[in-house]
Amino acid sequence: MAKPAVIVVGADKGGVGKTTVSRTVLDYFSANNVPTRAFDTESPRGTLKRFHPDITEIVDMTSTADQMKIFDTLNTAAPSVTVIDVRAGLLSPALASLRDIGFLDAAKSGQITFAVFHILGPSIASLDEIAETANFMDGARYFLVKNFINNTSFFEWDQATYNSYFHRIRDATELTIPKLNEMAFEQVEIASVPFLKFVANKGPKDEAANYSFVLRGYVRHWLANVWSEFDRIKLTDIVGKEKDKPASKSAGEK
Amino acid sequence: MTVREVRSARNQAHSLPASAMRRTPAYIICSPRPRVGKTLIARLLSEFLLLQRGGAIGFDVNLKEPSLLDFLPRTTETAEIDDTFGKMALMDRLIVPDGTAKVIDLGFHAFDEFFTMTGEIGFFKEAARRGIAPMVLFVADSDRVSARGYTMLQATVPPRALITVDNEYVLRGEIPAIYRRGRQLRLPALPAFLNTYIDRTSFSFTGFLRGQTDRSSELHQWIRDAYFSFRELELSLLLQGG
Repeated sequence: MAKPAVIVVGADKGGVGKTTVSRTVLDYFSANNVPTRAFDTESPRGTLKRFHPDITEIVDMTSTADQMKIFDTLNTAAPSVTVIDVRAGLLSPALASLRDIGFLDAAKSGQITFAVFHILGPSIASLDEIAETANFMDGARYFLVKNFINNTSFFEWDQATYNSYFHRIRDATELTIPKLNEMAFEQVEIASVPFLKFVANKGPKDEAANYSFVLRGYVRHWLANVWSEFDRIKLTDIVGKEKDKPASKSAGEK
Repeated sequence: MTVREVRSARNQAHSLPASAMRRTPAYIICSPRPRVGKTLIARLLSEFLLLQRGGAIGFDVNLKEPSLLDFLPRTTETAEIDDTFGKMALMDRLIVPDGTAKVIDLGFHAFDEFFTMTGEIGFFKEAARRGIAPMVLFVADSDRVSARGYTMLQATVPPRALITVDNEYVLRGEIPAIYRRGRQLRLPALPAFLNTYIDRTSFSFTGFLRGQTDRSSELHQWIRDAYFSFRELELSLLLQGG
């Protein structure tokens, strides 16, 4: 059986695009035929589940029962890749819990592949988050994600300050999520389908839809750019899967 | 061209194999420069398509210049690409394979925005998939802006779909080297007094062909030559696989 891989997507701040990034990750794995399961920690109502209902379960990360549901099944679950969309404000506590249950040690010893996508917000508080999160990153692949999707301008950052935080973490990698046309983003929200289905002009149950060609084009172009970032960091290799061709080339052409 | 000749041209068009009618042409008349004859070409082409195919729709993205809408108000709609709504309204129509030829009179101010957008949304690829045949008619000029615009088009438009219009009135018979390699369509210059004549909004090229008995007149010949060039373009669609 393949080594289990856990990808945590989170931030301590809300509204920075955690779920959007999680959605692109799920679409990326889907396009690369990597079976994946996801957990949405926005209990009791999850946004991620709305877009990927078949593979997503809503959990309460603070409850022991749900922690067991996620981590005790890592070795037995059929999809060996688990994506966890961590609710705002819960990233540091979640990582602390993972440390307490010995998960981080397992990652350090190589039994589990562990990656964290830390979505950064525009405020200086995000930089403090980096410092806090960095304490848990031994044995993990740490990705700092600058998300421009909601027109974030990282105006509060002084580049030198950012660099000083950035370089504190060994092997941290920076990712950039480009901006998506607002109307296209809004239409995907309304359609409540994965980005891939929107591009393929399909509804939630794979039925033919009638989305705007222009908006689908914008989403396809954007998704290809996001996926080229994932290609750059060799995301499929990280989770231990082979990859045929760059997913970014085939965004939406499934 | 007599009425009989006009009818025969139309019959010929109608007798083209079914595959010829399968692809829906979308002609984009463009230039990053003002006053190079875009609207004149859009008018001529629209009238030719109305004659040959029995129907065509014009889209006027040219409201800051004298535009197609002024000349062919019955078959022309206004379009804007300043915002996403406008882009959707135009492009979602353009991508429909309904068999009706489309002519876009693209104003110089919209050149960059339009082709950046078509690149981003993968228009040419999707068009090929859906049986749309886009033809970009680039009206060349000898300045740097035009050369830059042409280079931009070469990067995004398939070579068979990119046609340089050598408007003699603009280039004075000296087409710059950059345009010489690709497909070309030549439009001879008309004497100034005839330009004034055809610039009247009530003037119709097909109407002139039908009404004018003197086939040797310069304007008659000029319109026939232009229609002949457009017919060649339409036939080239056949060679591209229907």
